[in-house]
Parts: sequence; C-alpha cells; structure tokens
Amino acid sequence: MTKWGMVIDLEKCTGCQACTTACAMENNRLPGENWQDVLFYHEGTYPNVNLSWLPRPCMHCENPSCVAVCPTKATWKTEDGVVLVDWNKCIGCKYCMIACPYGVRFYMDEKATIEPDTRAAFPGDGTRSWNPPYRMPDAMEDPSKGIGIQPHGVVSKCTFCYHKISKAPKGVADLDEANPATREHTPACVRTCAPKARYFGDLDNPESRVSQLIADKGGVRLKEETGNKPQVYYLSGGGAPVVPGQRSNKKA
Amino acid sequence: MTTAQATFKPGLHLAVAAVGLIIAAGYAFSQLAGAGHASFNTTNLGVVWGLPVVVYDYFLLTSTGLVLVASLSLVFGLRDFDPLVERCIRLAIAGLVGGVAVLFLELGHPFRALLTAPFALQTASPLFWKILCVGAYTVVLVLLALDLSGRGTVGVGRRTLGIAATALALLVTLIAGSVYGMMAMRPFWFGGETPVAFLIESFIGGIAFTVFFTYLAYGFSDAGMPAGLKALLGGPLAKLHAAVIALHLMFVLGRAITGLWSNAEGLQVWQYITAQPLFYVGLLGGTVLPLILMAMPSTRTRASAQIVAALLVMIGLLISRYEFIIGGQQVPMFKGSWASGLVHYAPSPTEWALLVVAVALANVVYALAERWSSSRNG
Repeated sequence: MTKWGMVIDLEKCTGCQACTTACAMENNRLPGENWQDVLFYHEGTYPNVNLSWLPRPCMHCENPSCVAVCPTKATWKTEDGVVLVDWNKCIGCKYCMIACPYGVRFYMDEKATIEPDTRAAFPGDGTRSWNPPYRMPDAMEDPSKGIGIQPHGVVSKCTFCYHKISKAPKGVADLDEANPATREHTPACVRTCAPKARYFGDLDNPESRVSQLIADKGGVRLKEETGNKPQVYYLSGGGAPVVPGQRSNKKA
Repeated sequence: MTTAQATFKPGLHLAVAAVGLIIAAGYAFSQLAGAGHASFNTTNLGVVWGLPVVVYDYFLLTSTGLVLVASLSLVFGLRDFDPLVERCIRLAIAGLVGGVAVLFLELGHPFRALLTAPFALQTASPLFWKILCVGAYTVVLVLLALDLSGRGTVGVGRRTLGIAATALALLVTLIAGSVYGMMAMRPFWFGGETPVAFLIESFIGGIAFTVFFTYLAYGFSDAGMPAGLKALLGGPLAKLHAAVIALHLMFVLGRAITGLWSNAEGLQVWQYITAQPLFYVGLLGGTVLPLILMAMPSTRTRASAQIVAALLVMIGLLISRYEFIIGGQQVPMFKGSWASGLVHYAPSPTEWALLVVAVALANVVYALAERWSSSRNG
C-alpha cells in the first residue's frame, strides 16, 4: 500500500515562501493562516547572527496524536497515510490543535492572524467562513476530507493536496512536476518549489526518490521524542539541528 | 426554618443573579452573534483554549468537588456532614449547568458534539471519556437531587446513587486532568501528577463553595445556625479545608520550583508566570492566606474567617486554573516568525462576560433550587 510522504531539503530551500503562496491559492487559505508555512528563526546578536528557516507543512504522522484525541473521529488517517479532517464531523473543540506538536491546524472563526481581516472584504455565504477570490472549483470541494473553503466552527489542516494526489496513477513511486504523467497530481507546494527542495512520493517504495533521499542523505524528522513519527523528512546536511530550540537563543 | 434563614431572601439572590445573567448573556450573545468567535482573544498563533475553557473546567471541577464533599456523608457515612449533602448536590448541579453552558458557547458545533461524540467510540481520546462521564454524572446528579428532595426515586437507594455520583465525580475529575496531563508535547501540562492535582483542587473548591453558600443561606452569620452545623464548619470541615489547601500549596510550589529549575524546552513559561503579579495574588491571597486562616485554631472557628477563606480559595482556584490552562499554550509550536517567544493572551470583554454568565447562571439555578426547597419545607 502506498504511504505518501515528503522530503524537504533544507540545503536547497531559500525560504522564498512560494510554497506557502501556492498552498494558499490551491487550498483557499486566509492570509496568515497557512497550512504550509515557512518559519524563520534567528539566533545570536549582531554581528554574530544566524538566520535559518523551516518549511512546515502538516507532518501527516504515522502515529498522529491529533487523530487519537479527536472525540468524534473527525480527524482520520487514510489508507495511503494522509491525515484528513471530516468537516461534517468536526465539533470545533480544538483538542487536535492542542495535541498537534507541530502547530499545523487552524480554527478560522477566530481573530485573523494578519490584519486587515480579508474575510470582511470577501464574506462567506452559508457555512463557508469566507469566499476567497482565488477559490478552487466547487466540484473539487469535499468536506468529508477537509478539502475546499473552510466552513464555520471546524478545524482545518494541510491535506497533502489530497484532491490531487488521490487521483495519481496507481503504483507510482514519485509525484514529480517534471513528469508529465504525475504533474497534475503533485502537491502544490512541491510543484511550485523553484529550487526543487521538495520531493513527494511513496515512503513504502524503496525505489522512490523520497526513500532514497532519506537513506542516502540521512533524513530526519521533527520532534522524534513525541513518537508521532512524521511522514515529512528533512535533509539538513547533518551539521545543525533542523530547528533551534527557543531556549538555545537565550544566554545561560 | 431558623431566624437567620428567615433573614436571608432567596428571592433577592435569584433577582440579583438573574439581572447579572441577563446583562452578561445579552452582551455576550450580541458579540457572538455579530463577530462569532472572533470576539474572543484566542488565535491560531497558540492560545486556542481561552478563558471560556478555563471557566468550564473551573465549574466542572467545582461541581465534582461538591459531590466529593457530599460523599463524606453519602458514601462514607460521616453523619456530621449530613446537613451539607442537599446543598452540595444542588450546588453541584448549578455549577455544572453554568460551566457546560459556557462550553456550548465556546465550541464550534456544540449540538453536533452532543450527537456525534458519545457514539464515535474514540476510546483513545480523553475528551470522549470526559463527555461520556459528564453525561452519566449529570443524570446521576439529577436522580440524586430528586431522591434527596423526596420528590422522586429510582428505587436503587440513596447510598447507591451517592456511590455512583462519587465514582463518576472522581472519574470526571481525573479524566479532566488527563486531558492536559496526557499531552506529552506540552511539558507544562504533561505528567501523571496533573490528574491528582485536579482532584485536590476539585476537593478544595468543593469545600470552599460548600462553606460560602452555607453561610449565604444563613445570611453570612452563624447566629441562627444549628449547633451541629456550626461545629462542623468550625471544626472538622475547617481542618479538612486547611489540610487540602496545604496539599494544593505543595503541588503549586513543587511544580513552580521544578519548572523554574528545568532547562527543558516548554517549561520556560514558568519564568513568565512567576514574574506576573497574578501568580502571587493566587499563591499568597488564594492559597497561603486561607491556609493560615483555616490552620490557626483562633481563626478557623470564626464565621468571618471561614467565609473569607472560602472566598479567597474560590478566587485563587480560578487564577490557578487560568494560569495552568493558558500557560500550557504560551509556548508556540511551529507557528511562524511572527510568534516567536511566548504567546501572550488576555481575555476579551466577551470572554469576561462568559465568566459572568457562568457565575450568574449557576446562581440562578442554585437560587431556584433553594426557593423550591424553601417552598417545600415551608
């Protein structure tokens, strides 16, 4: 069975946020509430400052704590390893947001993260929390998988562009924008990445590019201590931690 | 009815609570109807459970604590505590109503929660068990209240109902603690001691509310109080109160000191919390002072000291619950460059109004029950 996963090469990533923008366009995201984001960190003080960044999609964990804590089973994991939210079952308790170690979930009824609140200019109708000008076609929406414009009162998250990858040819090892057969099935963040820092494929297939990169370049996962086992791996070159701890920025 | 009880007017209590409820609920509903949950100061940057969740847990644990106080008579047969039982159960129901009402205004889809959560059978989720147990706890409490009032019985006996209510109160409290204690990704909350701390806080809250509302029923005076009740409030109950406050103090200090000492990521929030005046208001005003008042023989027998200690504990526990729930969310998790450091949160006017809604609604329910009881006895 396919187990979709992603590899992000931090030595190639330029922090350009094209992935963030592509995700927002593809998945109707409110500015600032990005399913895919690039986080910036700075360590030290001038003139000895180090700036680093980390692209952060949902980790689609093997043992997702968000699935375990959801009291209504609204958050679930597909057979091909993708964690989704059923908006028809979500009660908006936000326990998944509490339990996710990676901060990748969003409850959009709250105050906008970035002002001005774009929702005011594009108010929603019915259950939709807003009507983005760059919305996906209605036919693509699937609330049972958390795909579409986020309704009121529910939590949302990155779907690995499930509306695209779920229609990929069976048995394919990699979803790569360079391959015409898989281009349309490649997640938006992967497809748009200019320095080609992202790879997407089947983690259970030893022939896939993602499996080979993880093996050859020592792919690491975030917060291994939680036991969530992310299906997103980072290639950091091995010389530094992927993410600096907040306390590492403080003087002892 | 005693002279002192005659001086107290449940009707006035009801009127004040009802006016408070109308004003607070009117404001909160107008805000929620206009802006929805954007009228809260919770955001996706980190603090997603704000004051309404604090209020819900505070009232829920107060409710279970009141049942634990009642269990001293109902389950353990301590006859000295008999005069408190009916009031404790009434207060437990009132607190539960107030807390759950606020939770309903906080949830995205409260009615969907009622329909789906009990049948989802997501046994891995502490919230699933909490919803299930709170539902059963509510039913048993109502049956127990009816049995105590003499208006209805389910034929299983008061002690059986008392044991069921106590067991469910314990379960609800421990599961409420586990909701936070199981979160290994949030070191501020994580640990097996969290449910135990919740149990202790619940019991202290139960005692404090029992003392305060017993005195309220007697016009804040022990002049017309039956001798047995007066002796109980100034004797065993006051000593028990002091002992449980001391336990709570040890937990608070233990957690704060180990948190301050540790270099672990996620525990730096202790440095922030202990730098805030609110921490010392809760620690000194809400814990140490009532402990002194209840520990010293010269003060614990005085009605005024018992009332003040109860009030301080009630406020102190709310502060403690607030610091615990908010503090656990202040270290952001991968939320982007704009959320580095600690996430700061202060409740919005709507969130404060929901606290008033809970307090007022619980008082309305309790005052109605008192009136009903007075009319029955009178």
